[in-house]
Amino acid sequence: MLEIKHITASFGEKKILNDVSLSVHCGELHAIMGPNGSGKSTFASVLLGHPAYTVVATKGKKASIELDGVELLKLATYDRVKKGLFLAFQSPLSIPGVSVMHLLRSAYQEIHPVAKKLEENLGNAIFSKGWSAEGVTLVQFIERVKSIAREISIDESFLKRGIHDGFSGGEKKKVEMLTALVLLPKYAIFDEIDTGLDVDALKIVAAGIERLRKQGTGVIVVTHYQRILSYVHPSHTHILVNGVFVEHGTGALSERIEKEGYAKYEKVSH
Amino acid sequence: MKKSVIDDSYKYGFSKPEKYFYKSEKGLSEQVIRTISGYKGEPQWMLDFRLKSYLGYLKKTLPSWGADLSGIDFRDIFYYIKPTSGKVSSWADLPAEIKDTYDKIGIPEAEKKFLAGVSAQYESEVVYKSVNEMLKKKGVVFLDMDSGLREYPELVRQYFGTVVPPLDNMFASLNSAVWSGGSFVYVPKGVHVELPLQAYFRINAANMGQFERTLIIADEGSSVHYVEGCTAPIYSSDSLHSAVVEIVVKNGARVRYTTIQNWSKNVYNLVTKRTVVDEEGVMEWVDGNLGSKVTMKYPSIYLKGRKARGEVLSIAYAGSGQHQDAGGKVIHLASETTSQIISKSISKGGGRTSYRGLVEVAKGAKNVKSKVVCDALLLDEDSRSDTYPDMRIHEKDVSIEHEATVSKIGDEQMFYLESRGLTKEQAQSMIVNGFIEPIVKELPLEYAVEMNRLISLQMEGSVG
Repeated sequence: MLEIKHITASFGEKKILNDVSLSVHCGELHAIMGPNGSGKSTFASVLLGHPAYTVVATKGKKASIELDGVELLKLATYDRVKKGLFLAFQSPLSIPGVSVMHLLRSAYQEIHPVAKKLEENLGNAIFSKGWSAEGVTLVQFIERVKSIAREISIDESFLKRGIHDGFSGGEKKKVEMLTALVLLPKYAIFDEIDTGLDVDALKIVAAGIERLRKQGTGVIVVTHYQRILSYVHPSHTHILVNGVFVEHGTGALSERIEKEGYAKYEKVSH
Repeated sequence: MKKSVIDDSYKYGFSKPEKYFYKSEKGLSEQVIRTISGYKGEPQWMLDFRLKSYLGYLKKTLPSWGADLSGIDFRDIFYYIKPTSGKVSSWADLPAEIKDTYDKIGIPEAEKKFLAGVSAQYESEVVYKSVNEMLKKKGVVFLDMDSGLREYPELVRQYFGTVVPPLDNMFASLNSAVWSGGSFVYVPKGVHVELPLQAYFRINAANMGQFERTLIIADEGSSVHYVEGCTAPIYSSDSLHSAVVEIVVKNGARVRYTTIQNWSKNVYNLVTKRTVVDEEGVMEWVDGNLGSKVTMKYPSIYLKGRKARGEVLSIAYAGSGQHQDAGGKVIHLASETTSQIISKSISKGGGRTSYRGLVEVAKGAKNVKSKVVCDALLLDEDSRSDTYPDMRIHEKDVSIEHEATVSKIGDEQMFYLESRGLTKEQAQSMIVNGFIEPIVKELPLEYAVEMNRLISLQMEGSVG
């Protein structure tokens, strides 16, 4: 279970999240909905430990983010990720010269290391950057990446390109989805994965989310619109307005938002 | 051997044998030059060339621009040392730090020993001999410069000092006066050398000379790729290294010259490299500078014939205490000539990189195209990067592009990679390797792999 308790977070002097709590079980799909500026993306960043945000306890209550019983709050971003957390970025920056495949390879080895790490640099320089990941050879891994890429309509040539370098909005989102499917996280957060996608791409991304959920990943979809929720069906919906969860409900709640918007909550919270 | 002020080789506990067959006096004089030339049994014209260069050198002063060279004590240098044939230092004597670096880069055992200067070089000698047999059949000459002068005196005399005149600059004059070692390459008309010629296969008792002199002649329609240096750190006890490289590219010929310089951090590396390219010839300099205390090096290309093309790809890395003043120069002397200079520099831990470049278009050279891209990456607040691009365009009908960027590694890029399970160091080295990738991919595979490993090591701070 991913259990988030009493998280209050600020950016500089500005308080953005105020006493936020949420629990997600394996295989569940949660939607966090809210208007622009409600703190949705901050919520996603704070889970991963983005250095720009400061997390403080709320009114004497103990703040915590526990992943299957392990406290993440004091851990560095990469350690949280190694424990099984994943974030698909809303608008990931490019890293020229670092190919999609190279990043996936490196990330997978870090996140799924073999129990006992083999000594690096055995033998020749060409092979010195050896592969070591649990239960899969490099050849199998590369085949798996290519196969997933095909399934979500990513052309193989993309895997050789610099990550997000010159990619369109939709291509970026698909590569983020590819990354999630390859890395097999225990809990995954998708930040505005539906913005800027055409219907076909939206369906592909939705199918990816459904696939992760079926594999047992606990998924949180952060979104402004109900659009993607026509293709995936959350078991839980949470409405975030001005940094506070104002309502928790089932999938039906998202449909109501589609009709009524956020106006009602915004009046309440002011 | 007495320690000079800037010689910190003792830090590495590097031991050199004291048994020399011949060792010149410290400092330079006409007598030292006569002795060097006499010892080598050189023809009169070479002695005259050396002496003329020496007289020119005496009148020269240090450049008023570029890196700080005030730390060089010219009186405290042995200008010529002929080592005995058998080296006595052993692999076991090498400090753990150096061995460790070699291990981390993952170079094979035999090569490691060679690089460390402790190998008798038998392994390489075998390779060299078989490569040389193959080259001989094609009429290709690949010798050390001293042998080249002995065996091909007329060819050497025709070109030696024509591309880089002995009075060109202070360090070219010095090199012309006291040069020793380096390579001599001649590729006959229409011959394509498929394998890169690697300098470290060329056996030479004084393997890494202080004042190397290289001359490459690619005759009409031929092609060759020459590789100098290596990615592994070269520990030198000599504080001044001043090489001259001259390349003649004839009509329709193609030469690529790749350098990976990784001298130890006590070395002043002041090098003059220049090419003259005839009609439809192509010259490519791939120049990587990772080591040394100070490097000043601007591989140059004179595009003399119509439709000649020149390219300089330059990577510089400056860590703590280092200044890499590098770049490239292209002089368009003929019409329809094209050129490109791409420079990527990285500064870390207070290191300083400078891009210094020149694009010149002579009067009468029409339809010239040139593009200069220089990108600098600063890894912290203490580091520094400067750009000194010079353009001298004396013709109207030209297309000149210049792009320059200075970037820092952004927090968001770091966060993205950390969110993929990478530590800060791993993330940083991935970004840096990505930054230089456009140039690294031009390197021979084994060099590219070692280069990536080396950058990663620099990021860990475990080397340097």
